[in-house]
Amino acid sequence: MSVRVMEKTMTCAEFQESLPELFEAHADLNAQEHLKTCDNCAALVRDLEYIASQAKLLLPMHDPSPAVWDNIQQAIRRNPSAQPGRK
Amino acid sequence: MERFVLMSSGPTQPRPATQHLRRNPPIAGEEEAIEKARNGDARAFETLYAMHKRRVYSLCLRMLGNVAEAEDLTQEAFLQLYRKIGTFRGDSAFSTWLHRLAVNVVLMHLRRKGLPQVSLEETLEPSQDDGPRKDIGARDLTLSGSIDRVTLERAIENLPPGYRLVFVLHDVEGYEHNEIAEMLDCSIGNSKSQLHKARMKLRDLLHTGQRKEQIA
Repeated sequence: MSVRVMEKTMTCAEFQESLPELFEAHADLNAQEHLKTCDNCAALVRDLEYIASQAKLLLPMHDPSPAVWDNIQQAIRRNPSAQPGRK
Repeated sequence: MERFVLMSSGPTQPRPATQHLRRNPPIAGEEEAIEKARNGDARAFETLYAMHKRRVYSLCLRMLGNVAEAEDLTQEAFLQLYRKIGTFRGDSAFSTWLHRLAVNVVLMHLRRKGLPQVSLEETLEPSQDDGPRKDIGARDLTLSGSIDRVTLERAIENLPPGYRLVFVLHDVEGYEHNEIAEMLDCSIGNSKSQLHKARMKLRDLLHTGQRKEQIA
């Protein structure tokens, strides 16, 4: 799969069209000719890489309310036949 | 316009994930709790709930963006766990298995909710064309180093639901496109395209937030 087609003559629109493929190919975006002369697309790439990297750092931070466990217990009591050991 | 169609097929069984879920360190006491819970030990099941409730709930909340629904589905996921824990064979980490089960619960919910077609092409601007919106104009701000977790979480909540699903599954939870395509019954190319659109939309949302902060 070529991810460097016509890169020297790419317009911004063409470059941005190719971005999903470039990201997925883990291409070295800094080596893209278009980015050497286009600050706007370079900023876009930096932002998208930053968003993806920050998303990976999101940790589970929310706890469900205590009512969730209460409801689970009640549901299990109502239907004890679903108990794993009784299957 | 290509659309994701969430088919009304039955839930898929959790299977060993081919990818690594990055935040799956072994938890002390988990193995023993699993074994006891498999034999019907209620206390052990409660222990498993305490160990994993945060992660399952956070997943549901991020995918749905709604506290009440996220709590309902957390409950449903753990009830399914209770019923199915006997089928856990240890081919993958327990948390990976449970996580997959929770994802399936969320997807089933979306189907049951009367959304036989959940458009992952949703956009907020009616005039926007089918492709990723181009960013041709100059910007005076870059995001790097400027967004904290809360800001990003809030922006994710504001994504259109279809975009949010793919973004959470891929960029937050670490699923690969082939896995997402299988879960959402769409093509791999569509998953990639949706992810790109989601990131572009997030960028817009984050920049808009930055500009508002600057004005205020």
